[in-house]
Amino acid sequence: MRRIESQIDTNAPDFKANHAAMSERLKEFHAHQHAARFERPQRDIDRLARQNKLGVRERLKLLLDPGTPFLEFSTLAACREYDGTVPGAAVVTGIGIVQGREVAIHANDASVKGGAWYPHTVKKIVRLLDVALENRLPVIHICDSAGGFLPLQHGVFPDRYLGGRVFRNQVKLSQANIPQVAIVGGHCTAGGAYVPTLSDYNIIIEGTGAIFLGGPPLVKAATGEEVGVQELGGAVMHTSVSGTGDYRAATEQHAFSLAREIVSQWKRTPKTIIETASFEEPYYDPKELYGIIPKDRKTQFDMREVLARIVDGSRFHEYQPEYGTTMVCGFAHIWGYKVGILANNGVLFNDSSLKAAHFMQLCNQNRTPLVFLQNITGYMVGREYEERGIAKDGAKMLMAQGGSVVPKFTVIANASYGAGNYGMCGRAWDARTLFMWPQAEIGVMGADQAANTMADVKIRQLEREGKELSEEEIAAIRDPVLEKFRRDVEAYTSTSELWDDGLLDPADTRNALGMSISASLNAPIDDPHYGIFRL
Amino acid sequence: MRRIFQIDGEETECWLSHDGNELIVNTPDGAIPCQLDPTGTPGGHVLRVRGRAQELRLAVGPDATFVHLNGQTYAIGRVDPAERLAGNDGGAADDRIVAPMPGVVVSVNAKPGDQVKEGQPLLVIESMKLETSLIAPRDGVVAEIPFAAGDSFGLKATLAQLAPEED
Amino acid sequence: MNISKLLVANRGEIAARVLRTAKARGLATAVLRHASEQEGPAHRIADEVVTIEGPTPVAAYLDIPQIVEVAKRIGADAVHPGYGFLSENANFVAALEKADVTFVGPTSEVIDLMGDKVRARAFVEERGFPVAPSAIEDDDPATFVERSRAVGYPLLIKPSAGGGGKGMRVVRADSTLETEIETARREGERYFGDGRLFVERYIERPRHIEVQVMGDGQGNVVHFWERECSIQRRFQKIIEETPSPALSPQQRLDICETAAGIARAVNYRGAGTVEFIYAQAGAFYFLEMNTRLQVEHPVTEMVTGFDLVAEQLRVAAGEGLSAAQADIPQNGHSIELRICAEDATEDFRPAIGDILLLDEPEGEGVRVDSGILGGGKVTTDFDPMLSKLIVHAEDRAQAIARARQAVQNYVILGVTTNTGYLDAILTHPDFASGDVSTGFLAEQADTLTAPGEDISDLLMAAAALSDERLVSDVMQIPEMHRKMGGWRN
Repeated sequence: MRRIESQIDTNAPDFKANHAAMSERLKEFHAHQHAARFERPQRDIDRLARQNKLGVRERLKLLLDPGTPFLEFSTLAACREYDGTVPGAAVVTGIGIVQGREVAIHANDASVKGGAWYPHTVKKIVRLLDVALENRLPVIHICDSAGGFLPLQHGVFPDRYLGGRVFRNQVKLSQANIPQVAIVGGHCTAGGAYVPTLSDYNIIIEGTGAIFLGGPPLVKAATGEEVGVQELGGAVMHTSVSGTGDYRAATEQHAFSLAREIVSQWKRTPKTIIETASFEEPYYDPKELYGIIPKDRKTQFDMREVLARIVDGSRFHEYQPEYGTTMVCGFAHIWGYKVGILANNGVLFNDSSLKAAHFMQLCNQNRTPLVFLQNITGYMVGREYEERGIAKDGAKMLMAQGGSVVPKFTVIANASYGAGNYGMCGRAWDARTLFMWPQAEIGVMGADQAANTMADVKIRQLEREGKELSEEEIAAIRDPVLEKFRRDVEAYTSTSELWDDGLLDPADTRNALGMSISASLNAPIDDPHYGIFRL
Repeated sequence: MRRIFQIDGEETECWLSHDGNELIVNTPDGAIPCQLDPTGTPGGHVLRVRGRAQELRLAVGPDATFVHLNGQTYAIGRVDPAERLAGNDGGAADDRIVAPMPGVVVSVNAKPGDQVKEGQPLLVIESMKLETSLIAPRDGVVAEIPFAAGDSFGLKATLAQLAPEED
Repeated sequence: MNISKLLVANRGEIAARVLRTAKARGLATAVLRHASEQEGPAHRIADEVVTIEGPTPVAAYLDIPQIVEVAKRIGADAVHPGYGFLSENANFVAALEKADVTFVGPTSEVIDLMGDKVRARAFVEERGFPVAPSAIEDDDPATFVERSRAVGYPLLIKPSAGGGGKGMRVVRADSTLETEIETARREGERYFGDGRLFVERYIERPRHIEVQVMGDGQGNVVHFWERECSIQRRFQKIIEETPSPALSPQQRLDICETAAGIARAVNYRGAGTVEFIYAQAGAFYFLEMNTRLQVEHPVTEMVTGFDLVAEQLRVAAGEGLSAAQADIPQNGHSIELRICAEDATEDFRPAIGDILLLDEPEGEGVRVDSGILGGGKVTTDFDPMLSKLIVHAEDRAQAIARARQAVQNYVILGVTTNTGYLDAILTHPDFASGDVSTGFLAEQADTLTAPGEDISDLLMAAAALSDERLVSDVMQIPEMHRKMGGWRN
């Protein structure tokens, strides 16, 4: 594979201006992440200390193999909900390494509302368990939750993908022979009791851990029985009397070392074999991405420059380099894994759609995982393109993409508008992981077009009523709509709503993809098969 | 995993990582890339740290690693933090000996006030045609043995109780 | 009497050392072993190893009837007691005599005499040999102050019932003698409920110098020169050397002749050692006589070229001494280091452990008398001394250099030993200049156990990289994740 020859001049004023703007954004992004992970009101920290419990980050440190990476999902989930008072949606999820094995981790964050389940908490846990199911990753649950957040119970409990889905997914994992261990480091009450009980193994920390369907106050209210936490569902009772608990741990440290020991007993299943090469760092510095992404979203840039800062050795074998050039397709390696890459260099035309569909079929045939790098404003519109069958060609691309059996990974690098989001494996299309860069946007259309469209409807309506509007009056109608839309399409809104698996510093993209690809190979790859292509 | 190493009474938590080429010893103070190769003599190794090669002799004991380096011998205590923590286990739950099933007392071998050793038989019971010796779960003083030989008891009856431990 | 089979009633390094000479002399050999005792070098040298029993291993080695019975049963016609255990036990000697087994050592009468410190001191003093002046109040309370004055200054007042330094007072001037006696008496009463006192000459910064003697029991006694043993911890020697750096040639002759004279006075048979306390001013006083082979005898062998065990066996067999005084040279300088399983930084607390790796130094002028084998276990059943490292060189400076080199190359891994501490002593400038006293180790305790250069990062690296679990844990991490390290998004 040939090295991409970068055309970027790192001394150019544009590069520097972009770099400065991106660095500013990233500073803000990292500050948000840090706050969501570590900053808590003193009273919450004190409460944990009083309860003799470790914080969730300390628990992860005890659990994970030291000196190994942790791919955290959706750190900023719920960042635009609940007035920002539920950082990370009160739960930490991600893929990490325990005793040399890749595992999915679901850990309640009791420093946030006692680890209560909010609607976004449930969404984040269900997503993690979906990741575990799709990639056949063992799951480690760290349970410490006050239970469902009652004022919002309708957003937590009844629907198909709400609370029950957590347990349903646990059952499916078990059925699929994917092991789970739960460490009970706090109370698991009511529905929460099923997380450890549906796990193959569970460990209860003496003194702090407890499992019951109804806690002491509820029992008292229901039957009048007065019973303490320990007798009702403590570690000793469950591990020696009820058999609900498997292991009794004296301390948190003991619990996590037991968990590690349990994980080390698990059979290692061989991973799916795909083409690999030895590792090679990108030839071009990934941090140069900061100067490549234009500070104005409307400015076009060459995705090959982005690829050169993500893939091994900056080497890229481009497929059909002369045809359908708004769609860049080709092969590269990421952390040694051979992948097929689809990256947008402009709007999707008929030829670029057909090229993408064909390339994806090649990759399925070769069992080459697919990586989508989105910067897409949509499929081309207009009479000529409709006549050429742009909807038909777009459908072929969707059929090929949606019908792919190889693992898919999506990075929304900049714009993700309209049906382009679908063609390029947006959230609905089962990417194993989907990450977004902090300056990227997602929506049916760009904020300006959306706002203008809505403002125009209103203006025309007023005109029909015979009203002549001044510039100021038009602005007064359009500007609030525009402001709302601009906020709605922001990456922070997406990540708050869990439309992605988290925002990424562009320089972290390579590692995030490496971790994702490696995890995906725990699941087998099916033989290629498709639906009907509209030819 | 992590280890606690004890050198001259000071404890340092340590773990290993590997950057693809060599192992890295990590401590809270920093990371030390290094390499240890045997030389062929018993226990003989060359340790390469920060570009310096040191010959040393080394032996790994059950709880400590011994190093002979530059004419001096050093003992480095090795602790598995997890095992240390597991050792803190136990407690009040062990003070009571509870009947594992209904049965009859065959004999009583201790009386209240007796100083008993862990593992010492306190009484023998018979149930399901099997005799079982119930032993003291820890060193302590017998507080109560409410049954006498020939008495029958039900499931979960307290057959013996030790006096609470004094701190 | 002819000796054809020797039982060594001892263990450890001394048993091995005695057996080597006995075998070289063509004797059949046997040694004892308690059931719970680790295999040692002696068990590999001896033709026969006899298991002895006892509630503790030490009790077995002190069990006179059992050992005498063993000697008879295996047909040993002589017993070498080594040092310690029964080596100075007159009852043992008597029991062997009764059983018609030769004891390699002096007669029971001599052992009896020298074993009683008070009688021995009186015996020596009566014959005009120097003993430290002293006065015992009980002898005649009325004249105690006068007799104390006659002891001379400085002097030390001790409560008769005392111990541990309580109530002891040093008096340097006659003007304060009586008030100090009264103070000491009050202290004695307060601490021990007994105000009786004892006074002796206070020797400032004393040295311990001893002389090796050998007699044939027929009136012939020779000395094998002196040994300086001032380097002591907890009243036990750990470094011995010869010649003593403190003595002038004349003083050397004086002290050695004195020792030979004392041995002659008891018609000494076999190997013995006369110990003296040596004042910095040059005066020396009889301390005691040890009627056996000493731990530190090898330094004497190194400078004289004689095998003292061979001499013992000759004497025991009635062959007499192999040399006259004039034939006994003092060539070069020899130092012995006692390698002990103990932690010098923890008040010499005995250490236990498995000997995981043992590599003893060797080379010109280096001798190791070892009681351990690689793979063995060090327990608290016996004395913590594991072996002795003895060096010999042309002069003292070279001997120190050789000793340092050898002790640094002495590899014992698995149990804490004092090799580093011994090296620190050898390095000390006062040791190099020979300016030491029996208080040296206590005075210099902080210097000698001061931590060296901080190499904890090297040690940590060595310990971590040799830790199989740590290494296997990291190697089972997939390569990519290993290489990413502690990355976080």
